[in-house]
Amino acid sequence: MQENILEVRDLNISFSNYGKTSKVLRNVNLNVLRGERVSLIGQSGSGKTVTMRTIIGTLPTPPAIIESGEILYERKNLLALNRIERNKIKGSGISIILQDPLLSFNPVLTILRQMEDIIKYSDVRRGLSRGHKERKELICETLAKVQLFDNERILDSYPIMLSGGMRQRVLIGMALLNQPKLLIADEPGTALDVTTQKEILDLLNMLVANEGLSLLFITHNLGVVREMADRIYVMQSGKIVETNHRENIFNTPQDPYTISLMESVPPLYGKKVIDVKNSNPIPDEMIKISNLTKSFPVRTGFLNRITSENHAVKSINLSINDGDIFGIAGESGSGKTTIAKILVGLHQPSAGQIRINKSNLEQLVELKDYRKLIQIVYQNPGSSLNRKRTIAQILSVPLKFSDYTDKMIKDRTNELLNMVDLPISYSSMYPHELSGGQKQRVAIARALSLKPKIIVLDEPTSALDVLVQGTVIDLLQRLKKELGLTYIFISHDLSLMRNFCNKIAIMFKGEICESGETKDIFSNPKHLYTKALISSIPVISDLEESLKPKVTDEERSMVLQNTRKI
Amino acid sequence: MFTYLLKRTVTLLLVFIGLAILIFIIARIVPGDPARIALGPLASAQQVEEMRQEMGLNDPFFVQLWNYLAGLVQGDLGKSLLTSRPVIDDILGALPATFELVLFTVFLQITLSIPLGVLAAVYRDSWVDNFTRIISLIGVVTPGFVLAIILQLLASYQFSFFPVTGRVDPGLNFEPDITRLILIDSLIKGRSDVFIDAFSHIFLPSIALAAAGIGQVMRITRSAMIEVSRFDFIEASRAYGIPERVVTFGYMLRIASVAPLTILGLEFASLIGNAFVVEFVFSWPGIASYGVRTILQKDLNAVIGVVLVSGIFFVFANLFIDILLGIIDPRHRIREGSSK
Amino acid sequence: MTQPSGQELNSERDLGQQRSLTSGQMAWFRFRSNPSSIIGAFIVLSVIFLAIFAPLIAPSPQSAGSFVDFINRHSPPSKDFWFGTDNVGRDIFSRVIFGYRVSLGLVIGVLGFAVPFGVFLGLLAGYFGNWTEFVIMRFTDIMLAIPPLAMALAITAVLSPNLINAMIAITMLWWTWHTRLIYRIVKAQMNEDYVEAAKVSGASHFHIMFRELLPNCVSAISVKISLDAGFVILFGAALSFLGLGVQPPTPDLGTMVSTGSEYLPEYWWEALMPGLAILYAILGFNLLGDGLRDMMDVEV
Repeated sequence: MQENILEVRDLNISFSNYGKTSKVLRNVNLNVLRGERVSLIGQSGSGKTVTMRTIIGTLPTPPAIIESGEILYERKNLLALNRIERNKIKGSGISIILQDPLLSFNPVLTILRQMEDIIKYSDVRRGLSRGHKERKELICETLAKVQLFDNERILDSYPIMLSGGMRQRVLIGMALLNQPKLLIADEPGTALDVTTQKEILDLLNMLVANEGLSLLFITHNLGVVREMADRIYVMQSGKIVETNHRENIFNTPQDPYTISLMESVPPLYGKKVIDVKNSNPIPDEMIKISNLTKSFPVRTGFLNRITSENHAVKSINLSINDGDIFGIAGESGSGKTTIAKILVGLHQPSAGQIRINKSNLEQLVELKDYRKLIQIVYQNPGSSLNRKRTIAQILSVPLKFSDYTDKMIKDRTNELLNMVDLPISYSSMYPHELSGGQKQRVAIARALSLKPKIIVLDEPTSALDVLVQGTVIDLLQRLKKELGLTYIFISHDLSLMRNFCNKIAIMFKGEICESGETKDIFSNPKHLYTKALISSIPVISDLEESLKPKVTDEERSMVLQNTRKI
Repeated sequence: MFTYLLKRTVTLLLVFIGLAILIFIIARIVPGDPARIALGPLASAQQVEEMRQEMGLNDPFFVQLWNYLAGLVQGDLGKSLLTSRPVIDDILGALPATFELVLFTVFLQITLSIPLGVLAAVYRDSWVDNFTRIISLIGVVTPGFVLAIILQLLASYQFSFFPVTGRVDPGLNFEPDITRLILIDSLIKGRSDVFIDAFSHIFLPSIALAAAGIGQVMRITRSAMIEVSRFDFIEASRAYGIPERVVTFGYMLRIASVAPLTILGLEFASLIGNAFVVEFVFSWPGIASYGVRTILQKDLNAVIGVVLVSGIFFVFANLFIDILLGIIDPRHRIREGSSK
Repeated sequence: MTQPSGQELNSERDLGQQRSLTSGQMAWFRFRSNPSSIIGAFIVLSVIFLAIFAPLIAPSPQSAGSFVDFINRHSPPSKDFWFGTDNVGRDIFSRVIFGYRVSLGLVIGVLGFAVPFGVFLGLLAGYFGNWTEFVIMRFTDIMLAIPPLAMALAITAVLSPNLINAMIAITMLWWTWHTRLIYRIVKAQMNEDYVEAAKVSGASHFHIMFRELLPNCVSAISVKISLDAGFVILFGAALSFLGLGVQPPTPDLGTMVSTGSEYLPEYWWEALMPGLAILYAILGFNLLGDGLRDMMDVEV
């Protein structure tokens, strides 16, 4: 029988806010064995971060109140220790990797200084005295462990000068500096692109195995859990609802919440995959993009002179048919949003041509009726809906600037709310009174208000919780069928696109590297980047894993070398 | 860093040139004939006309502006209409006293308000916080001249150590001829008696002048500290075992000091403005007393000179703060210096 | 994946609301639990009340003018003269009450022009960017380099000192702070998608500036106005104190401090009482502004 390195017993925590007390953790029990990888999975607000903070001792009290419970680390109850004893464990026994690699750094100190500080003060605690040279040697060794070798440059840099993937690596290195025994990782890699995320997760797995660490991995992503855990805890509103070994959770989930989580992940391969087809038997060409290029000037130096041009998109050729759900996939900075903005007339193309319904975009944009042709739904409804305006006011804007009278506006607004399954009484509410999913419904309703033929969907579900994502996708599908819309669906979520789009284009560094029928791209990807991208997607079954295209680590890093900004 | 500094310098220089032009335009559009003011009401129309000619008032506007700017570059601010001495000489005579007062005031503001702000943030919602909050409120809401009068009253009844007028006791026979700042020169020359006397003179006016800034900067430091304390990296640093003392003073304060320093720079013009009142109350022999006098007598050239010199003060203070911010927060210079 | 039933929608909504109260409740809680904002509101209301009903409240309304009562000159604060009397025997308390009329008139005059003007320029600069932003923001930068008191002094001196000219002088300098504030907020708001969404909806510039962006500035503006009111009073008093604001015999707090200070330290009340009266009003507006700031959770 292996021994526990960490055990959380009957932890109860509540928060007191504005005179109201609410319970955030209820009888949480959790343990991590020596050398074991344990995952804690839950949606935002489920209490997983509170659990993490209580363990590492950074939970602010007040407003938090630890009502009862014990946290045993190597049989010592952390909650009963005094501050000095507690600090001894910080950084040496337990170490953490936080979610956002940029925000986890001190922005005004160089990497070297930050890493040296960690060693310096841990030495003070342990009564050691290592000199600057020895400290730097240790730092370089640690950086080598996280596969970073350009040490001089990295150590002299400030955090904002490094790329996201590099930052995440340095951050893991920082967590390792004091030879911890237990590593707590809070959603590492979530802020990164999937290909980079894949590398980071592989690295983490390797380190845990090589260094004999225990890992408590906190995430909301089921696919990631499958790769990162031996045992899993599922958390919902402050309670552990299910715990089991990985195979059991994925093969025979018991709790209804776990089951709904599993069902909310769109399948990438296998029988459950939905092959989407264009509903029109002989569709007409709706949008024709030829040789589209958009570049932004790069200004440098003292006089702000334009020294070079940054190509956001380069020589794009696309053809989108009436009734398509056309997916444009790519990682951040690939140029997919630039295409969206050009289509709705917010950017002018630098070169190339776009024809919609056989008319030139340049001429169309000048027309007032252009708004009745194409509309857009943004990623984050919290940002795309003005929080100081009521739902009715928000919905009326497009109508007001078209030829609607006040009476017609009111009728149309109600009609729109109906279409997106929201009660008419919501029209007098403000966005903050609605949930994330409801807000996105309002945003969709606004896009529909002028009865457009084309809607650009710019990551419409990625700001939402997975369980809500499904309902929004269902709504979009129903609306398309009812209104005969054409969608341009921009996303980085390939599993979702597999089941939602009939055609797809993969973008890479401003260019389209591959496009065609969704089914074909996934079953037989041709471009190395497409393969690397699909193979990096975390999936939730062995079957899907086995059907993913195979890419060697070498090939993947070749692709990454190409994307990584230094 | 170099590009960053160059950019900031040029921006501030532009501000100054803009200020010079703006002041000139205002001076020319206000009613009242400068020549008439210079000569007094009894002068004949012909005398006034000759004076206008001599002062260049009959030249086209742009010629006047050009002559004025060209003079400015050579440090020529024209002649005072009343004393008939070059304005620049009058101002340079009064400048050190004001410079000393303002410098000492800023010194007080920084050394008092930032530590108190940090304390308030560290002991948030405790009695320390409430106490500093009251102090800062009193500072912010008490008008400089009311505080000056209260301090004078207190000094004349209770604390006779603090004189209520002047800069230094003339009986001490001290000539500040090195930096022209008495506090510093007396230290250099080893005259502790002069230093103590000068300190007792400058203390009350500085407090009256500093109070508003102390209150404001204290609150800003507090809220900046609280904001920084919510950053992820603070949590990470604690979890990596960095001692609380280092997290607070080494990490948090460094970032949190950007906001109060920026405010000090922005409010610098107000500080000089308030110095007008405080110098007036304490009969401080500075540029402000000179300014009020010339303004009351509608001595236009002198007024322009005073405002411009204040502008130079402002520009240098802000340049200094920009350099400081560039050192404190490398993101400033990275962002401004390189691409995008 | 099925159609969301009404019940599901409700539970989805609960999810969002569970963790926080509505923002209105939170705001009210913040205001109520902060005794200083209540005190601030009380002080401001009392000042406004005194100013409006000055002729009815003042024990000696004639003291507001060039009334002379040499028998009672320089009397210290007493039952008859709460704040004492001045060098010609006028009741200082009555004069203070009338002085609040002048102070509040100044506040209304200055902020009535400076706020709309400053806000408008801030909206323009933040919304249009490019050269509009360059011109407006550089101009405010220049204005910020001018010591406000020196500038106001110069303007009133040249234009002859009186209340209206003091108002003009202060207004000319005051708008810059509002421009900067609104510019900063609008700049931040421009990163929000709703501005772009409005453009795509075909909304006019006017609509986006005044219907979309302005409502997001309102809470900051109201906090700023409350804080400003105190500082305008202070500023006007400082001008009068130097002899360049309101002229006698109009009862103005700054002028009263100035005249009173000639009789320091023996007749201390003559300068101190009007001084404290200024302090009281500024304190009220400040506490109220702070309270509003906490309540609406805005940075000003």
